[in-house]
Amino acid sequence: MNRTAKFILKSVANSLITIILVILLNFVLFRMMPGDPINFMISNNPKFGDELKERLIDDFDLNAPLHVQFITYIKSCLTLNFGNSFIERNTPAMDIVMDNMKWTLILTGTSSVLMIVIGMAIGIIGAAKRGGKFDSSTLTFSLFFYAMPTFWLAMMLIAIFAKYLEWFPASRAMTIGATLGTSWGAISDLLYHLVLPAASLTLVSIAAFVLIMRGALTDVMTEEYITTARAKGLSKSKVLKNHAVPNAMLPMVSLIAISLAFIVGGAFQTEWVFSYPGIGWKTITATYDMDYPVLQAAFFIITLAVIVANFIADILLMYLDPRIKTEVG
Amino acid sequence: MNDAKQPQSERPCRKVVGLSETHREKLSLLRKRAVKTWRIYSKNRFGMVGLAILLGFVVMAVFADQIMYILHIIGGWDFAYGPFDKVEYPGAGTPPSSEHWLGTDQWGFDLLSRVIYGSRVTLIIGFVATLVSMVLGAGVGILGGFWGGWKDAVLMRITDVFLVIPWLVLMIVLAFVLPGGPSVWKVVFVIGITGWSSTARIVRAQVFSVKERAFVERARAIGAGDMHIVRKHVFPNVFPLVFANAILTVALSILSESTLSFIGLGPQSINVVTWGNMLEDAINASAMQNELYWWIVMPGACIVLVVLGFTFMGHALDDIFNPKLRKR
Repeated sequence: MNRTAKFILKSVANSLITIILVILLNFVLFRMMPGDPINFMISNNPKFGDELKERLIDDFDLNAPLHVQFITYIKSCLTLNFGNSFIERNTPAMDIVMDNMKWTLILTGTSSVLMIVIGMAIGIIGAAKRGGKFDSSTLTFSLFFYAMPTFWLAMMLIAIFAKYLEWFPASRAMTIGATLGTSWGAISDLLYHLVLPAASLTLVSIAAFVLIMRGALTDVMTEEYITTARAKGLSKSKVLKNHAVPNAMLPMVSLIAISLAFIVGGAFQTEWVFSYPGIGWKTITATYDMDYPVLQAAFFIITLAVIVANFIADILLMYLDPRIKTEVG
Repeated sequence: MNDAKQPQSERPCRKVVGLSETHREKLSLLRKRAVKTWRIYSKNRFGMVGLAILLGFVVMAVFADQIMYILHIIGGWDFAYGPFDKVEYPGAGTPPSSEHWLGTDQWGFDLLSRVIYGSRVTLIIGFVATLVSMVLGAGVGILGGFWGGWKDAVLMRITDVFLVIPWLVLMIVLAFVLPGGPSVWKVVFVIGITGWSSTARIVRAQVFSVKERAFVERARAIGAGDMHIVRKHVFPNVFPLVFANAILTVALSILSESTLSFIGLGPQSINVVTWGNMLEDAINASAMQNELYWWIVMPGACIVLVVLGFTFMGHALDDIFNPKLRKR
């Protein structure tokens, strides 16, 4: 138990340090811009007037010395308040980001489950008959999708399934005017709009899961306890189910945590192509609009989410594989 | 190739060049190892397919002029179009024809020549960005693994930051924040700096295991310094790993370039042509709505093929150099 506590403490400390570094990076990055950020953005964006400029400089303490700015910034990170958006002037940036977050969670959540379940299934069947027809064809296919730029696959799916076959809608998360709810109509509308974005996100990321599951399982299958299990008369499928797969799960858990950062990147592109109003779509829009508070809030929240997910995976791994404690400690 | 057997006195020029006996020994060892690696590699079907695809694209990039010249004779066009040769109005935004096999874009540039010439900058960005990533990744990994202790801890926390920040988010923010307009070198820098962290992790793990091996301890026992050990023992042992990783990173870098271009933060197509900014142009010109499908399909297909080639090669090399670490 002592060791467990030590391990958890170490994970917490590591995550906290990473968060602090991200916060620092976020501060430095946005002050690296030539000149002061407000001037830079206003000169580039006709949407802003002088009166707004004054207020913004006040809001962000931009005339204050750097260390005062830094303290203001840290405060805003701790309170999750990055000021009001430049575009929707009376809405806090964080509210906007959080509002978009739910769509991203729906999209990435669905796709993650799909890619993990399907990827694992393909990996297990492939490893069971390594080098067979199923194995090499699924491997080629998943690598083929992995090689595609996500946005390009999304565009191809739109061209085929939305434009040519007209099976699914090409954009938006729901029909115009519809709201998220628990009624059948709302859910089916949501799913109907979700098919193509989720499909493109799942297809581009599935290769990693297939490869890792297949690799891990192949490694496990060479272990002696597998031979023993076979020798005592268990069928191949039973050995696979009860002995091999559970042991091959460890690398999967760490992969899921690591690939989260990549899945978010993919979600950005999918959301942009499908005009899916998630956090990625908002970030890219904010980049075009030079909406600095929203950009900063989105950057912070996304990274925070990934760090927390990694931390959870660490703890989960510790319970699945107690050896890790001794390795790290 | 049996130079080594000939007496030194008969070949005085060799001495001037400075190929001593040990050097020659080393070279022949290196050659033997390369031949052995190639034997294993050539048995890997995926690896060979990848190599063939890549050779095809390298030929396309190097001989773009000649290819266009030959095509212009075959197609019977007025002249061999370059990527910046504007076609006379009304030649803008046209679908494929006998004169322009892939049609033209909104400014009247011939898309076929753009696809062919586009391989040049796309591949260069892929390679140079990878070089940046590998220098950073291998550097941090070797130093961290070699030093250990608190210095390693500091380096790894920094690596973690780059590992957890979603690459696309960091790329967008960097491309947005860095001074100067979009240029090839800025894109190379942005891609390079976002792509090194996983390499650092893998290299570090390998360095840790190399460091414990007997030959390093022996070297240390006879008084070898840190630099010497890193150069002569650690680096040669992690190099194959870095190489296999580099091939995979080229694939990712090319994908990153296309994504940056797609968002509008890549190099601008007025100055250079990449497959990524061809796609960007296509989107801006609503190629999908105007049913100019070739404009979207061809550059994308080229990206897919090149990335697939690098991925196949990378995995084949990974299998050879690194059968255990595949788990990651």
